[in-house]
Amino acid sequence: MIIKRLLLFIPLVLVLLLFQSYFWVPTYENQAAGNPNRLVTYIEGSSGDAKILNPILNADSASSSIVGQVFEGLLDLDENLDLRGRLATNWQISERAYLAVNPHHRFPDGQEVTGKQLLRRLRVAWEEETLEGFRESVTSLELLPSEKREETVSLLLTDASGKPQVHEVPVMIDIPERVRFTLPQVDQDLFDRLQLVLGEHYFKHFPYQNLIHPQMEISKEIEEALRVKFPDILPVGEHNPIIVFHLRQGVTFQDGHEFDAGDVKFTYEAIMNPKNLSPRTPDFEPIKTVEIVDPYTVKIIYKRLYSPAITAWTMGILPEHLLNEASLNREKQERNLSDEAQESFGMRDSRFNRHPIGSGRFQFVEWQGDEFIHLKRFDGYWEGPAQYQDYFMRIIPELFTQEVEFRTGAVDFYAAQPHQVERYKNDHRYQWFSSLGFAYSYIGYNNRKPLFAEAEIRKALGMAINVDEIIHYLMYGEGERTTGPYPKNTEWYDPSIQPLPYDPQRAQAIFQNAGWHMNEDGWLEKDGKIFQFNLITNNGNPIRKNLMTIAQNAWKKIGVKVNTQVFEWAVFLGDFVNTGDFDAVVLGWSMGIDPDLYQIWHSSQAGPQQLNFVGYKSSQADSLIVRIRQEYNRERQRELTHQLHRLIHEDQPYTFLYAPLSTRVLDKKIVLVQKNADGKEEYKKIYPLKSGDITFYFHKWRKLEFTPNF
Amino acid sequence: MWNFILRNIGQRLILLVIVSFVAHSFIHLAPGEPSEVDPMNPRMKPEDIAKIRAAFHLDDPLHVQYAYWIRDLFNGELKSFKDSQPVLPKIWDRFLNSLPLFILATILVWTLAFPAGIYGAVHRGGLYDRSTVFLSYALISVPGFFLSYLAILWVVGWLGVPVISIKTFGMEQAEPAYKIMDRVWHLVIPSVMLAIGGIAVLSRYVRSQMLEVLSQDYVRTARAKGLQENTVIYGHALGNALLPFVTMFGLLLPGLIGGSVIFEQIFAWPGLGRLAYEAILARDFPVIMTLNFIAAVLTLSGTLLSDILYAVVDPRIRLH
Repeated sequence: MIIKRLLLFIPLVLVLLLFQSYFWVPTYENQAAGNPNRLVTYIEGSSGDAKILNPILNADSASSSIVGQVFEGLLDLDENLDLRGRLATNWQISERAYLAVNPHHRFPDGQEVTGKQLLRRLRVAWEEETLEGFRESVTSLELLPSEKREETVSLLLTDASGKPQVHEVPVMIDIPERVRFTLPQVDQDLFDRLQLVLGEHYFKHFPYQNLIHPQMEISKEIEEALRVKFPDILPVGEHNPIIVFHLRQGVTFQDGHEFDAGDVKFTYEAIMNPKNLSPRTPDFEPIKTVEIVDPYTVKIIYKRLYSPAITAWTMGILPEHLLNEASLNREKQERNLSDEAQESFGMRDSRFNRHPIGSGRFQFVEWQGDEFIHLKRFDGYWEGPAQYQDYFMRIIPELFTQEVEFRTGAVDFYAAQPHQVERYKNDHRYQWFSSLGFAYSYIGYNNRKPLFAEAEIRKALGMAINVDEIIHYLMYGEGERTTGPYPKNTEWYDPSIQPLPYDPQRAQAIFQNAGWHMNEDGWLEKDGKIFQFNLITNNGNPIRKNLMTIAQNAWKKIGVKVNTQVFEWAVFLGDFVNTGDFDAVVLGWSMGIDPDLYQIWHSSQAGPQQLNFVGYKSSQADSLIVRIRQEYNRERQRELTHQLHRLIHEDQPYTFLYAPLSTRVLDKKIVLVQKNADGKEEYKKIYPLKSGDITFYFHKWRKLEFTPNF
Repeated sequence: MWNFILRNIGQRLILLVIVSFVAHSFIHLAPGEPSEVDPMNPRMKPEDIAKIRAAFHLDDPLHVQYAYWIRDLFNGELKSFKDSQPVLPKIWDRFLNSLPLFILATILVWTLAFPAGIYGAVHRGGLYDRSTVFLSYALISVPGFFLSYLAILWVVGWLGVPVISIKTFGMEQAEPAYKIMDRVWHLVIPSVMLAIGGIAVLSRYVRSQMLEVLSQDYVRTARAKGLQENTVIYGHALGNALLPFVTMFGLLLPGLIGGSVIFEQIFAWPGLGRLAYEAILARDFPVIMTLNFIAAVLTLSGTLLSDILYAVVDPRIRLH
């Protein structure tokens, strides 16, 4: 019977056909068999796909790691986290400051303030050195005539239904006469130094209303919002820090076009173009102008003192010739879009974002959505080509799958979890690294609640938790204690500050001193109320959930009653954190390398939707935070950050728990290749830098055919 | 017949609009926002977020957003929030990746389930029958993702070969034969995993259908005529037992999108299911909505197709 035979034969053949394919596939031990290129190919596993490959538009980690290979910035961070020139060879920072004549004010001797008088008095003070530090910090003084300027101010208001709305108001500004100071170095205290000449309150009572005129009819609310912005629109005393970058000559983009100052200016303008909706705008917003001095020199003038602003220039530079108005127009024509699409066509819609061209070490080849992104090395790179020929980023959403692919040699690197690293430590085929990153975990107390108002009480709560045990059992030892708001591996962190000791007895004593006593049920009680609060965190992070349980248990032992709850991320943020409607949260921060803590700790940032959601308020901390972001001298900045660190540590608005170590595993066959003086190759073991980064020397990496012994 | 088809298509079109509008409302009313307007980016100013929201029409009333979506979908300009890429070409690419997996899994299900089920029915109550009953119930109850993980662990642990994604990486320069076989190998485990549940279920159906048919009078008559047992079973009984399965072809269609979300996620397969999953995580409304729409179209046309097929293969049924 033919049907019967077919019914047996077809499945059998099908199964055999499928399973014989096994004999054609490479194995871990023999990755390069029949395929020698595998040794010069690097494959990285990533859980998420990139979104947009444009340095001014991307906002996710997968995109930025590709963008980091394809594009290059003016600067980057070297082994010690100092700035290092890349597309810029070197740079100088100086300052220009302006002091406007305040006609409502009188000098201490009662004379009216005029431009001439102001300049004369300052000149005298400068020549006779009557003001402390004035002579040293300023090289010249000039008087600028008054002028008019038109500007459009955007104001954010909420309408009746609570929706945010942006209003654009054109204004005419009568700028009064101003004295211009030229300073070889930034001096944030310049205007304070002038107090003897200017008298007190020079900067208050400035007649903004007479000088700033809206050019249209505006409602009461808009006028109110505009008034708040007056000091920004026309500052009385204005600091303009200036950075002059000298650019590297002879650098080309991957299409052969030469890089010059025009590309830097173009990149800045593209970021600030509102049509592009760039998430980098806040980093570049402090810039007033970007001037091209000559093809290899750019001068950046800033609106105000903000020292972290320079790190923004580590961002990749775009090629102007591929993205300027003319090229975008050409692309628009070629793509046959509808009228409406043509109308709104901008950089965000360009094909460039999926076929980027930069000046970095690797150039783009191909992007298969949710599968891989392929780069190959750029042989024309100014520092010489990399060792690897090909670079792949593979998209593997599951952690488990990433591990599986790593073990079969189909992935060279992935972000291994602490428990996975445990398994690799004893395996001779792998090399592993574990080092500090920029993140830390904490328990944040809502400082607005009377329960947590006292620093002593917050300290006592912190003392009840055994953080060392948490690190040992929860983190598999892959964490370090941390004591303050800065990442441990930056110089802003003061290593001399000791963490809170684990001391439940002393914690209990503190509570007793504050009037809390243990009741019959074993809870702390005062005035008939027991010490009780809710501890919450977000769903999807098992470590935080476990932390919550551990804290709950530890506090129970000293008589503090805690209810815990886990919420979905959107609910957690929307209903609790952003509204400030919570008692305590378990969370973590991932910090940058700059010392600016304004958003997280300044008291002005404690409103709804803002990041100081625990409501920490300290005038001392506020002034330190502002001084730090305005300080351009690194030494002084470090002193200030150490003071701030100590202050926050003493106030304990958070219980600072630990900084997780980032753990990485690589095939042991991957090494650093170095050329000796006589041209011979030498192999070195890969090592992590201070920042925890192991890929700093990525361009020297290569896979060997054998496993080396180091 | 034609009347029936036209009337049905009309009804289904109306249903489609209702389904898509309800889906649209559900998706927008669910908590969470597109990741592009995430307020947790510390450097993002409220003004910037407001601008992005306006560009995505996020603050418009639901029915207006729905109209925008329909308009963009039909003039082909619908773009993903996530990467500003046109949605339809994106879905087409993913569809081409999902297709071989879907086809192979379907072939495996249909070629393996029939012999297994028929043999069980013919040798009813025997050791084979009893053990396959046990095995199918076991396979139906064990979740597919769990089995997949076990399969991956075994293959990687014992054989040390890659199993994830649609091919091994860095094979570009290898010989064509190696490359083709590598692709085949990468299809094997996920499609077997995808098929296992189907085989277990379908072979049960086949078995019970065969049993029913084998107890019919005409089978007894055929046997009484002195026909060979093979002719009775494969010539007379099998054809009639197959009838209900013809209609199942139509119902396979929606499985193209929904059937493999978990497996595509586990095996990092860049297909439609994973596109949908990731779009949901990122609240990428245009992609979610479009996939939802396509799934609805497939389901509705699938049921229509099976109605028609039924009439075609079963002369007792007439459509009015």
